Amino acid sequence: MSTTRHLVNRQRRLATVAAAERTTAPPRRKGRAGEDDQQSVVTPDLEESSDPRDADRTEEEEAGEARGEQPRTMPRPRIRLPVVLCALTVLLGAFAAWSFTAADGLRGDASRRNTALTDIGRTSEVKGQISEAVGAVFSYNYAATVKSEQAARTYLVGKAVQQHKDMLAEVRAQAPKQKLVLTTTVTESGVELLDGDRARLLIFADQSNTRTGKSDETTYAAAMFAVDAVRRGGTWRISAIDTFTQ
Amino acid sequence: MARVRTTKNPLVVAAIVLTALAAGSAARGGWSWYEAGHDDSAGYGQTRDDALAAGEQAVQNLNTLDHQKLDQGLDSWEDSTTGDLHQQLVDGRSGFEKQIQEAKTVSTAKVLSGAVTELDDRTGKASVMVALRITVTAPRGKPAVKESRMLGRLTRTSEGWKLSALGQAPVGNTAG
Repeated sequence: MSTTRHLVNRQRRLATVAAAERTTAPPRRKGRAGEDDQQSVVTPDLEESSDPRDADRTEEEEAGEARGEQPRTMPRPRIRLPVVLCALTVLLGAFAAWSFTAADGLRGDASRRNTALTDIGRTSEVKGQISEAVGAVFSYNYAATVKSEQAARTYLVGKAVQQHKDMLAEVRAQAPKQKLVLTTTVTESGVELLDGDRARLLIFADQSNTRTGKSDETTYAAAMFAVDAVRRGGTWRISAIDTFTQ
Repeated sequence: MARVRTTKNPLVVAAIVLTALAAGSAARGGWSWYEAGHDDSAGYGQTRDDALAAGEQAVQNLNTLDHQKLDQGLDSWEDSTTGDLHQQLVDGRSGFEKQIQEAKTVSTAKVLSGAVTELDDRTGKASVMVALRITVTAPRGKPAVKESRMLGRLTRTSEGWKLSALGQAPVGNTAG
């Protein structure tokens, strides 16, 4: 099988050579046939290293013949082509490496990675869902504590779970006695960062705190904080709360 | 046998394959680079960041004033603003000077966080919200620290983004 392939190759080579000879030096090739074996010894080819004895005679001769012609009459396909290919590979590879790096550089810089406002749909989605989440988890009614627990489970994830627990601990403790109703309404929200499924928002919220224990009393408080949000299964959840404590 | 088969071609074939792979990568890389460079949202994102940086700096400037460096402070107020707000500050300058000189206060502000809430790249208008911590030090007593929720409007001028309106976010205006 290799013999066939080799023959085909050889014929191709011979054809090329013949064509070349027709235009350049017609009588040269035949005279070289006798030198073939010697020629093969000095050819710095892969075959050189292998032992000629384990190959069958015809192939060795053919190979030798083919090789013999190659260094003098056919330098182009064997030497030039690989060189050209190597050069091309290096050039193309270098361009590929450079262009990917350049593209990454362009995309990677912070203002591009951040799609707050540039991605209008996602920006309003995260604003809407997180505003709702903040309102739900920071509202507390002494008469409906299950609702607030449910909200926490729905809207909080990761670090925010414990942070929220700590923040509402006092409210929880006092709520039954004071008949406390805490209502949080987000008045302003802005997306600082939006990067795929992660976001950070700045929140301004109003909190009204109504005590209906001994005397009715409502106090208002202004709150500002930032939240980190993650998007899971199409829903944004609060993953951390930053109250800017020193 | 194998020797013959692997004589000439494998190297060339490998080289051709490598070259083709390199050409493929180069084409993909070039396209990726082109796309990254011609992304409309990138310019908008840059504008957003410029507006936010200018807005935060301006809000900080307008909440910073040292009675010993009044001129410098009030100049920076005027430099950070444009339009009506700028005019108000220019008109009220002498009054401010007198007030601060009497009170001898030093106010410093730190931006805790900020976000652009609206941005119109075409008309050069933007809205920002800034969470600010202001420390006011009077000659006597402890420094007073307060947190402030600022809402600002920005207008793009030939010298960059400047504040054209600034105020605190109202509290408890929702009828409760």
